[in-house]
Formats: sequence, structure tokens, C-alpha cells
Amino acid sequence: MSPPDAVSRLITLLASLMLVLQLLLVVQRMLITNIRLFALQSVLLAAIATVVAVAYDAWHVLVIAGLTLIGKVGILPWQLTRLVRRIKIDQEIHPLVNMPASMLICGALTLLAYVVARPFTSLTRLGSNTLAVALTLLLTGFFLMINRRKAITQVLALLTTENGVMLAAIALTTYGIPLVVEIGIFLDVIVAVMVLGILVFRIRESFSSMDVSKLNELKG
Amino acid sequence: MNSGLLAITLQTLLLLGLAPLVSGLIKNWKAKLQNRRGARVWQPYFDLLKFFRKDMVVSEHASWIFRAAPAVLFLSALTAGLLVPLATTQAPLGVFGGALALVGLLALGRFFLALGGLDPASAFGGMGSSREMTIAALAEPAMMLAIFTLATTAGSTSLDQIVQTGRAAGWGLADPSRVLALVAMFIVLLAETGRIPVDNPATHLELTMIHEAMLLEYSGRGLALMEWGASIKQLVLMALLANLFFPIGLAVAVTPASFTLGVAWFAAKLVVIAGVVVVVEFTNAKLRLFRVPDLLSAAFMLATLALVSTFLFK
Amino acid sequence: MLLSSILLLPLAAGVLCLLVPRRGLLEAVNISAFGALLLLGLDLLAAVLATNRGAVTEWNEFLRADALSAWMVLLISVVSLASSFYAVRYFRRDLAAGAITEKRVREFYVLTPVFASGMLLVVLANNLGVMWAAVEITALSSVLLVALYNRKTSLEAAWKYVMLGSLGLVLALFGAIFMYAAAIRPGEAAAVPSFNWSRLLAIAPQLNPQLVRLAFVFVLVGYGTKAGLAPMHTWLPDAHSEAPSPTSAMLSGVSLKIAVYALLRFHILTAACLGPDFSRHLLLGFGLGSMLLAGPFVLTQRNLKRLLAYSSLEHVGLICAAIGLNAPLTVFGALLHMGYHALAKPVLFFAAGNIHQQRHELDFRRLGSGLGRTMPFTALALAVAAVAISGLPPFGLFFSELTILVGAFSSDQAWASIGMLVGLIVVFCGVLSKLAGLILGPAPAGEPPRERASAGLLLTLSFPLVTLLVFSFWLPGAVRQLLELAADIIRGTP
Repeated sequence: MSPPDAVSRLITLLASLMLVLQLLLVVQRMLITNIRLFALQSVLLAAIATVVAVAYDAWHVLVIAGLTLIGKVGILPWQLTRLVRRIKIDQEIHPLVNMPASMLICGALTLLAYVVARPFTSLTRLGSNTLAVALTLLLTGFFLMINRRKAITQVLALLTTENGVMLAAIALTTYGIPLVVEIGIFLDVIVAVMVLGILVFRIRESFSSMDVSKLNELKG
Repeated sequence: MNSGLLAITLQTLLLLGLAPLVSGLIKNWKAKLQNRRGARVWQPYFDLLKFFRKDMVVSEHASWIFRAAPAVLFLSALTAGLLVPLATTQAPLGVFGGALALVGLLALGRFFLALGGLDPASAFGGMGSSREMTIAALAEPAMMLAIFTLATTAGSTSLDQIVQTGRAAGWGLADPSRVLALVAMFIVLLAETGRIPVDNPATHLELTMIHEAMLLEYSGRGLALMEWGASIKQLVLMALLANLFFPIGLAVAVTPASFTLGVAWFAAKLVVIAGVVVVVEFTNAKLRLFRVPDLLSAAFMLATLALVSTFLFK
Repeated sequence: MLLSSILLLPLAAGVLCLLVPRRGLLEAVNISAFGALLLLGLDLLAAVLATNRGAVTEWNEFLRADALSAWMVLLISVVSLASSFYAVRYFRRDLAAGAITEKRVREFYVLTPVFASGMLLVVLANNLGVMWAAVEITALSSVLLVALYNRKTSLEAAWKYVMLGSLGLVLALFGAIFMYAAAIRPGEAAAVPSFNWSRLLAIAPQLNPQLVRLAFVFVLVGYGTKAGLAPMHTWLPDAHSEAPSPTSAMLSGVSLKIAVYALLRFHILTAACLGPDFSRHLLLGFGLGSMLLAGPFVLTQRNLKRLLAYSSLEHVGLICAAIGLNAPLTVFGALLHMGYHALAKPVLFFAAGNIHQQRHELDFRRLGSGLGRTMPFTALALAVAAVAISGLPPFGLFFSELTILVGAFSSDQAWASIGMLVGLIVVFCGVLSKLAGLILGPAPAGEPPRERASAGLLLTLSFPLVTLLVFSFWLPGAVRQLLELAADIIRGTP
């Protein structure tokens, strides 16, 4: 069943907006704003899932949408915001690579993702660039992890790569992945962020700072 | 040619008339959001009248550039406005130039603005000019790339052609390349019109002003022309944003009825864009000067991605 | 119900440990749970052999145990049992010395069974997505275990571990999804394909080859990070050295191999779809790279536990490279090596733990020499285990490495075999020289306290070594059959 043109374009549009948000995340320095950008990105992901579910009569993709909304828009940003407020650090310090250079690198990574995804565009029945955006989220999330120095931003970067995986799942598999796996991934992400939160708190107490570049004693 | 002359006159009147209104609207809404009453929406008109009636005071160090700059800025903004389709799909001077001419004219105006700031040899003016040029160096390429993205899909840099292709696109208006170009263009709009977070249009503090610094030495008629020219430039950029990216409601055949409808649609789009600008100004703080290149390079990157993605989808 | 009980037993033990008040009970619960697990594992071995080249399944093929799974279950239970035995004395001494609080000890006894049941779910799950979730569970529980001591270095190690591990797991999830998408056939868009490994294997020739290739690359980098393959291994020395010794034993002894297991499941699928060469060359390359990379770090290492971690890196590299060579002998040898390594490595970590508790020091320069005089029992265990781990006869690792090398050289892949040999030799020299320098020689000045013998000490150290020695000479027929079946599964021979 080939998708109506409008649906395909709508999904392409939503995916592009996710990409724009990811690039904004790379530029933005305030931690709470970053968390909100991530929440917004997850809303867009849920929207894409809903559009797919409605357009293809694939009702269990709605479950993905629901879980994304509950988990990544509700629970996780709430947990992370609480953590940021407890730790009372609200701004990123100078990243390793400065802003314009990181923008250039992200641009290059986006191109790389598009090139890698090119041979598979015939397989994605939903919008021609969703797989490319998913890979971009993965690559730029990875870059964000190594570029930033605050522990919470690294956690956020990890979560955006998670978003990329979910987007790839929706893009490549019209009817979504099996429910069991979906729930498993959802629970895992929640527990992972909990564990990370515990660690971040302990790091803050030990090092009096969330600057991850201070964790450099173990070498060789 | 009669219709040509008519078109030019109508568009000129539209530009001259609407420009101060848009500035007034934005100032008023910002005030309302800040819980103040704010000046009347028509205040800029009265300001212009007041300036025209006053004498000009010119520094003895100034040269002909100082006197010429307001006129050049005003006329270049106006001519640029005549290249942009406002209420119709055909701009009055559209046959004489498209995107490149537009960018060139705006650049000419900015060039003279900067020189006019330097000319009277005041410290503030020079400082403002150098800051303005820093911003322009990044904003202009971003704007050009954003417009070229649209031009690539349309197959021509003529703004009329771009608008017409856009009208035929239907759902293609939601293309990712257009979305990226739109975001880039919006950031450039903020930069070129001197809005928060790039520049504060209401400040006269040495540390923070850019556009105001270059205008500091002007008075009387010169100041009026500068202010009017700046608001026309703002209107032109907003018109670009409105009509290139959302070419709805533009009159094809120029009849009085369709023209009024076109003007009404244009006004509506302006109101929406002005609203977004106000919200952005209200929710953000002004960036430090050294952070502005970060924002603009983000715009540049988005515009580049937009352009490249038109090729990747071919 | 065999598979479900294997899964639920440690999980129940972990939950029970949350509620149990006294530490003595905690220890008892853990040891008995793992002991029972070992018995169930032997049961599973018999059941799998009885299916005659098939598999034991439960819950409509949700849980599936073939020969490879059964072998891993045995390894997990043996190492967990040995670790929980050792942990008793280890934590009692730490508590007495004030190096750790009661709360953290309870945390250990709760998290370790959870860690074990995560690993069990990895090997018993048929669904690739559930397998991924299980690897994530092991990662998360072991992170908290690594950070147990809450020292600055522990937190640093835990942070690196969780960041790199999570990133690797995201890549692995990408790979799993690509593999799932490869099963979607254009004509049958209405059919939801199965995520079950066994079903995917059955339809392997019809999978989309491009997607399968992409999937394997992602999975190799992803699960390879968790397995400690170079160059994604940077978390390994930190995490394995900062964790408490019982946990280090489990991490090095078995959790790395669980990640390799996950990787192998994808390797089997890829080989069935594309032919063996693509995936096995990648495996061989990464494995050899790990082996050769470990060499310099072992030769210049200053910390005892980091040395042991790099040795694990080398052994995992050897296992991957051997499987990558894809000759019948090498794959059999790799599986055998997994077992012997799992018996020998924990003893090394136990000895290191004893040394740390006695001398409060793990740096070679500060430990000096003459450990044989000051801590004779630990030193003896350390020496024997070091000889074993370096691949010297009469221990089993010698036989498994010999098997691998014989298979390698006779399979006509000379350069790879030579690379393996070089890697083995370098690490052999490094480990033995460092440990010999530590154990032999005169005791250092200042008379460090002499180790006192106790039943606990002797038992925990000798039990795995004796088992290793016994099985080095006598490989039970059932185990041999199991390993041959597992090798057939990996090589895809029917």
C-alpha cells in the first residue's frame, strides 16, 4: 500500500523538524532548555508514530507513540530537570570544539548520514529522509557526547541517539517492532536514566562538579 | 506600460505606508507583553513627520557620504522592495532583477549605512559600523543560500518565478529543504533588522547597540530617511519570508478585487510574522556580541543543509 | 519449566536479598541460589543433548536453549558460584577494615543475582530485542556494582563504562532493527515478521542482503563495545580494575563472553544470509586487533588488576579471532577456551583482591617483590593461575590455544595465524614477567604482615583451580558433545 503523498510529506516535514531541533541542541548551552528541546523532539517522534499508525491502520504503532509521550516527554525530562535543580548547575561550559566548528562537523555528519541512507530510501515507505534523519540523530548525538563536558548533556545526547533508533524503527518497519521489544526498550531507557541520575549525583558529590573532563585519573 | 507605472506606484505606496506600521506594531506588542501600555501603533508616522520638520545638524568632520547615506539607504531599500512580489505574483520591477539584485541592493544600503556611521568620526559610529559588518559577513551568505535553495527548486533566481513555482507546489511547501531554509531565513531576519537576540533596537548603551550606534549622529531629515529606510528593509525581508515560503493569496491577474485580496493576505502574513518576532524578542535575552557568530553560523549551517538536501532528494 | 526456573532463580534471590535482614543470610541466599543454578545448568546440558541437535524451548519459542546457550549457562553459573563464595570472606574483611558500609554490601548481594539473571536472559532469549534488553540489564546492574566503593576513581570508571556501554548498546539496537527490517519482504508488507532468532535463521536466505550487511556492522561495533573489542575497549581496564574483586571476576570471566555470544547470534544469521566470509573477516580483524593491542599495554602495565583486565581483552580477542577463522578446530577451540578462561581468570582476580586487602596497594612498584614469602597461599594461587592463563601446560588453556592454532595454521590463513601467535606470545611474556617479579624474590623491607591461612581462603582459591586442572585432563563426553554441537551451530553446518 503506497502512502498518500500528503502523509509522506508530513512525515518528512516532522523528521526535518527533529533534525533542526537536534542541531539547535548542539548550539544551545542552557541545560534546562536542552532538556526541553529534547522533550519537543520526542513529541515530534510521537507525532510521526501517530501519523504512521493512522495512515497505515497499524494500531500498535500507537503504542510506540504513547510510550514515547509518557516516557520521553513526561517522565525523563521531569527526572532530568529535577536532577539539574538538585545539582544547581544550569549552564554548559565551553565545549571542546567551539560552536561554529561543531556546526560544521554536524553538517558533515548529516551529509554522511544521508549518503549512508541513500541505498535504502527505496525501502522506507514513509518519507524519503526519515532513515537519514535517524542516522543523523545517531551521529550528531555521538558527537554531542564527546564534545560536551557536563554529565547531564552527555545523558541527553544518549537519549537523542535513542530517539534516532526509534525513528529508524518506525521508518524501516511499517508496522513497528514487536510490542514486547518496544516495552522492553521503554523500560530500559527509564531505568538507564535512573541509574545515570544516581551516578551523576554521586559524581557531583565526589568531585563538586559535573565537568566530566575532570574524570581523567585512570590512564594506561 | 500604464499598468507597469500603476504597479510601481501602488507597490511604492504600499511599502512606504506599511513599513512604519510594522515597526509600530512590533513595539506596541512588545510593550503589551511587558505589561506596559506602550506607544500608539501609529507613533512611527508621527515620529517621521517630526524628524522631517526639524533641522539637520551635521558634524564638521563629515563628508558627502554622511549626507548621501540616508538617501542611498532609503532608495535602495525601496528599489529592493519593488523587486519583491508583495500582493501580486509579479513584482513591478521583477523583470529587471531577482534574488541577486535584491541582495545586492540591500548590501549597497548597508554599505552606505556603515560608511555613514564612520564618516562623522565619532567613536560610537565606528564601533557600530564594525559590529554591523561582523554580523553582515555571516548573515548575508546565510540569506543567499536560503534564497538559492528555493531558486534551485524553481530553476531560476527570479523572485517571481520562485513564487509561481511555490504556488504550484501544493504540499511541496512542507519540503524539508524549505523548512530548513525558513528557519535559517528567520534567524537572518532577526540579524538584519537588528532584533533581540542579535541587537537591541531600544538601547543606546555603548556596550549593546549596533544599529543605533550608526544612527547616533543623524538628525532631522537624514534621521527620518534612515529610520524609514530601515523599516522598509525590515518590511522587505518579512515580505521575502512571507511570500517566498508561503505564496498563498497572491493575486495573479491584477484586478482591483484580487489586488485588495492580495494586500489583505499580505497584511495577515505580516501580522503573523511580526507576532513571532515579538514572541522571540520577548522570550530571549540579547546575545553577547561574541556569541552572535554562533547563532549566525547555525543559520548558515541550516541554509547549507537546506541547499544540499535539494540535491539529495533529486 | 527448566528455562524459566533458570531465569527466575537468581532474580528471586536478588529480590529476596532486598528483604533479608542479616548479612549472613544474604551470603547464604546468594551461594545457594548459584549452587542450585549450577545444578539446573547441568540439567539443561542433559536436556539439550537429549533433543539431538535441536533446542529446548519454552513459552512458544520465547525462550530457547540450544547447545551454545547451554554452554553459556554453565559458564555463568560456575563463575557466579565461585564469586559468591569468595565474596563472603572478601566483604567481611572490607567491613571489618571499614572500607565499605553494610548498605553497600547489601547492594552487592542484591545486584549480583540480578546481573546473573540478566546474563541468563541474554543466552536464553530467542527474541533479538529481548536479548538486547537483557544485555542492557546486565550493563546497568554492573555499572552500579563498579561504582560500589564510591571512590573518585570508581565513579570515573563507572561513568566511562556506562557512557561507552550505552552508546554501544544504541548501535546494537540499530543493528537489531536493521536485521528485523531485513526480514520484511515487499510483497508481504502485511505480515509482521518475527524477531525470533530461530525464525530468522530459517528464512535467512531470503533476508535483504544490504540491510543484513549494515545490521552486522552496527552490531559488531555495538556489542563489540560491550565485549571489549579494540578499539572500543577503553572502558574495560578502568571498570574491571575499579570494581570489587568478585564483580571483576564475573565481568572478566563471563560478561564479556555474553556480549560475544550476542555478537555470535548475529554472525550466524549474517553468515546464513550472505555466506560466511563477510562477517567472519570482520570478526577476525577485530579479534586480531584486540590481541595485538593488548600486548604493549600488558608489557608496560603498573596496576595488577588492570593487567588482568588487559589479559581478558587479549583472550576475548583470541576467541573472536578463532571464531573468525571459521575452521572446525578453531571454533571448537574457542568455545573450549571460553570455559577454561572462565575458570582461571576469577582466581587471578580473587588473588588480586586478597593482595589489595592485605597490602592496600595494587601498584607493582609499591608492592615490590617477594609475595611468595609474605602471602604464600595467595601467591601460590596467583602463580598457578598465571601459569594457566598464559597458556602453559598442563592447564586447559594450553590445549584450547593449541587446538585453535592447529586449526588456524591448517586452514590456510597464514597471516592471521601468525598474528594470533605473536599476540599470544607478547601477552604471555608480559603477564608472566610481571607476576613473576611480584611473587618471586626477597620480601620487601618493613615486614608487611604475613597472610594467615583459613579454610575460607584456601577453599575459594583452590576450588576453581582444582576444577580447572581436573577438566584440563578429562573433558567429560557430554561436554565435548555439547561443544561440538555449539561449534556446528556457529559455523552453520547442519
